Amino acid sequence: MADALSIKRSVPVRHASGIYWRALAAHIRSVIEYPADLWIMASAGAVWNVLQFAFLAVLFANIPNIEGWGFHEMLMLSGLLSVAGGANALCFDGAWNTGSMVIKGDIDYRITRPAPVILQVGSSHIGLQSFGELALGFAMLVYGWIGAGVGMAWIPVGALAIVSAALIQTALVTALCAVNFWIKSPMSIFAFLLIQLQGGAMKLPLGVFPAAVRIVSLFIVPVAFINVVPVAVLTGHMNAWWLVGTPVAAVAAVALAAGVYRLGLRAYDSAGH
Amino acid sequence: MASIDIALATIAFKRKIAYKTTWLFSVLFGGWALLAGLAVWNHLIGDGEIGGYDWEAMKAYLVIGFLTTTLAWAGAEWDMANRILDGLVAIDLTKPVDFQRARAAEYIGGMTASVPAAILGTVIAVLVFRPAGPASPLAAALTVFSLLFIFPLAFGISYLAILCCFVTQRFLGIQWAKDSLVAFFSGMMIPIALMPGWLQGLAWAMPFVHFTTTPASIYLGRVDTAGALGLIAVEAAWAVGLLVIARLIWRQLVKKVTVHGG
Repeated sequence: MADALSIKRSVPVRHASGIYWRALAAHIRSVIEYPADLWIMASAGAVWNVLQFAFLAVLFANIPNIEGWGFHEMLMLSGLLSVAGGANALCFDGAWNTGSMVIKGDIDYRITRPAPVILQVGSSHIGLQSFGELALGFAMLVYGWIGAGVGMAWIPVGALAIVSAALIQTALVTALCAVNFWIKSPMSIFAFLLIQLQGGAMKLPLGVFPAAVRIVSLFIVPVAFINVVPVAVLTGHMNAWWLVGTPVAAVAAVALAAGVYRLGLRAYDSAGH
Repeated sequence: MASIDIALATIAFKRKIAYKTTWLFSVLFGGWALLAGLAVWNHLIGDGEIGGYDWEAMKAYLVIGFLTTTLAWAGAEWDMANRILDGLVAIDLTKPVDFQRARAAEYIGGMTASVPAAILGTVIAVLVFRPAGPASPLAAALTVFSLLFIFPLAFGISYLAILCCFVTQRFLGIQWAKDSLVAFFSGMMIPIALMPGWLQGLAWAMPFVHFTTTPASIYLGRVDTAGALGLIAVEAAWAVGLLVIARLIWRQLVKKVTVHGG
């Protein structure tokens, strides 16, 4: 595999990015041909947001706040988490195929092509639920933003938060899917676990949880930088300096994903060997 | 139950216990949700009560939710979904076994394999967190009886979800939507008692409520014996109703199966 890898290192960034966008655009053209698939999946993506909104509405009808966080601030938390998940599903959903591609030997084809394997696999599918997740997630974020009284001057910070959240989410899911290069399973169980942990803990203020959860989510698996830290800064619950950590976590997560994938490709021995 | 059902259930059972990491993860998934739930509700309830649940009762509620979700997530719904997505369903149609019946046997066989892990996890949770005890020995017995219906109900809901794969190319987003519906309308995310009247009505009109609220209500004595028996009857009706609804939908969707374009 070493020869194949050395070929890909020489691929210019512009060429690689061109291939990525063309693959993604081809998928978008193909999904439009199957409207039932598109609508069912987009509705499925919207379900989580609708229920999350209902959960918060019911909760705040019974209690005034959680750790000083109000209804609209919590909506921003869930909205940003959903936007991050939606961006991941739209732009890099193919990473979930890594496990089955490794088992079936499908990675062979990707290695022989003159483009980075990680981009080829990542752009091999579009999660159609992303349309629902992105639309309602963004709506929830904006509704929360206005309701929480966050000023227009913070919009650039919000934009940075969205881009960083999308990058961290995508990179962490991709890195965990790449674990399947070693464990040889079609199911990306570690990536599932990550999504599950986020769904359980990252839609609530960190102050609710024991110190161990806070430390892990901030410094070990930096999921808190996807939504909790940016929203806490925007709403004045955390010092603005914490915001520096958001792009840093994004760069670190992307480097981690690229590194794990590269190591995985070195360990890859095709099917049947 | 015919020998074919037992044979399929046994195969699914053996397949499930062969992958020990799946056991571990099914307990981890449920265990994490339990810990997160305990942290949040401990914070919210404190020394008071919300929706008629004090801290002891809420602990019992969450532990029951842990048990039911651990069981419900253990079924082999991905195997069913992949049969449709990969086109294997076309071969299943040529076999002299009904597709739904065969998948039910496999699903319940797979769920059975997770019973020891779910019980072990529940015993540990009870010993560590010391939740409220059952309202009476009869309530405890009726709770166990109501929990048995989780098996056909979980299959019925998963089977309806995987039928979507006839018109979609993936199961991932569908599964998340289904899990969200179960989590919310079962009362696992937030107790049904806290919801406004119309939403409570909607929740009780759906089958998801029997995954947490029904067994927890019987266990904690929030319904009397007659109420408990009524809820169990509704569970049984849903178990049958879901099978019938799925058959009706199947009849339409199976027409969409094409093999290599022919």
